[in-house]
Amino acid sequence: MKQLKEDSNNHSNTVDTPTDLALLRLFQIHDSAFPIGSYTQSYGMETYIQEDVIRTKEDLTAYCTSFLFHNLVRGDAILIQEAYAAARERDIERLLYLEQLCGAMKLAKESREASVNLGRQFIKTVSPLGTDNFLVEWKNRIDSKEIKGHYAILYGIYSATTGVSAHHAVMTYLFASLNGLVQNAVRAVPFGQTTGVQAMYELIEQVTEAAELVSTLTEDDISNNALGIELASMKHEYLYSRLFIS
Amino acid sequence: MPHVYQQPPLKASRELYEGKDPTATVYIMESSGGMVAGDRNDITVKLAPDSSVRLVQQSALKIYPSHTGDTCLFTINVDLGERARLEWMPEVIIPFADAKFQVDTTLRIARDATVLWGEIIAPGREKRGEIFDYVSFRSNFKIFVEDELIAFDSLHFSPKEAAPDEIGVLEGAMYIGSIWLVSPNAAEVDVRSLQETLRVEEGLKAGMTRLEGNAIHCRWLAVDQWTMQEEMKRVYALLAEMV
Repeated sequence: MKQLKEDSNNHSNTVDTPTDLALLRLFQIHDSAFPIGSYTQSYGMETYIQEDVIRTKEDLTAYCTSFLFHNLVRGDAILIQEAYAAARERDIERLLYLEQLCGAMKLAKESREASVNLGRQFIKTVSPLGTDNFLVEWKNRIDSKEIKGHYAILYGIYSATTGVSAHHAVMTYLFASLNGLVQNAVRAVPFGQTTGVQAMYELIEQVTEAAELVSTLTEDDISNNALGIELASMKHEYLYSRLFIS
Repeated sequence: MPHVYQQPPLKASRELYEGKDPTATVYIMESSGGMVAGDRNDITVKLAPDSSVRLVQQSALKIYPSHTGDTCLFTINVDLGERARLEWMPEVIIPFADAKFQVDTTLRIARDATVLWGEIIAPGREKRGEIFDYVSFRSNFKIFVEDELIAFDSLHFSPKEAAPDEIGVLEGAMYIGSIWLVSPNAAEVDVRSLQETLRVEEGLKAGMTRLEGNAIHCRWLAVDQWTMQEEMKRVYALLAEMV
């Protein structure tokens, strides 16, 4: 019976399996070589590294777990899910609202700017691929300065136009975000590559758990309890030497 | 103060002036001693163009145990007209053991208006050993400048489900302090210099950042309430003077 319950709770058994094409396109945009600049962002982690709080693999996985559940899950991931749904309905008013919300909830200046920088690079890179007119329309809004262009919203819109499910879009976003942090920690702490691989391997189970959780959440569940990370992000602006932009 | 509508237990004092300062100081009093099980308090403040007001809470806001399971709701809506100025002095919100509380604060500000707003959240009655013993605490804080949402701060702690002391969250701190400043003169505030004066020591963390538009946000995480409150008062007074 226990096995049956676990199976029925497993989202991957109930969401559409993406087509090979959609899956590979998702892989492509989350590749570390995809030119949106995620390797330049630490979202406050560099402050912890400089303050010697992240020194071991265990410190790193604890930090990433907290970032995952208290920042990404209750913030960007919900916004991606909401933007995905709104884009499917071509609900422009809703998307404009989500775009504003995304900027307003990123209180630390560097995190907010990182979100816009990644978003703009992302749409600049994917829009010439001719995926969808709706995405091009959204790029025009950024070009005309009507909106800032936050990454989570653009990613939600893009995912909705490519045939992947919201669940897979969210899950791969969470994976790529943590993977980026781990890779950056490998360079900044520094760790050996093996430590980085082990840390990410351990985090994967939590990524699937987090993606399941996001599918049960709505805009009302958005919260910003990761105050330690937010403070670290504010302090990052004033660090004397920095490897990362945020 | 041209219009005052009030209903117990909430009461607004008459406006008081200090010397020739045109700022009206108004005390907000809560005669019941605290909120309990499903109580609802609403405060709406509208400032006419060019008015200047300092609102002061008379005492800490105590949230009693929710014996019925209902959440206490506090709604604060503030509208600032052109060139108006509002200062809200922070007092502490204390959620007792088993309390359930939600506060929704919305500030709507004209582009050339000024607001300086503070908030302090306690973990409970710390001296009685009640630390994060409440059921839930939720705060939704929004600032709109004209119709643009420039800040949305949403905190939601349910300590019985997830202890908030882990890395990245409160990291052992118990008190959360926030100051928000929106002002047409905020651009002239040297945030870097101010940030460098922030008192940071064992058990006290602080950060300062610029928000969209003419706005600045300061946040504290602290183990000791009084150390944090003193520091917040210092920064609050500095910012009030600068804008």
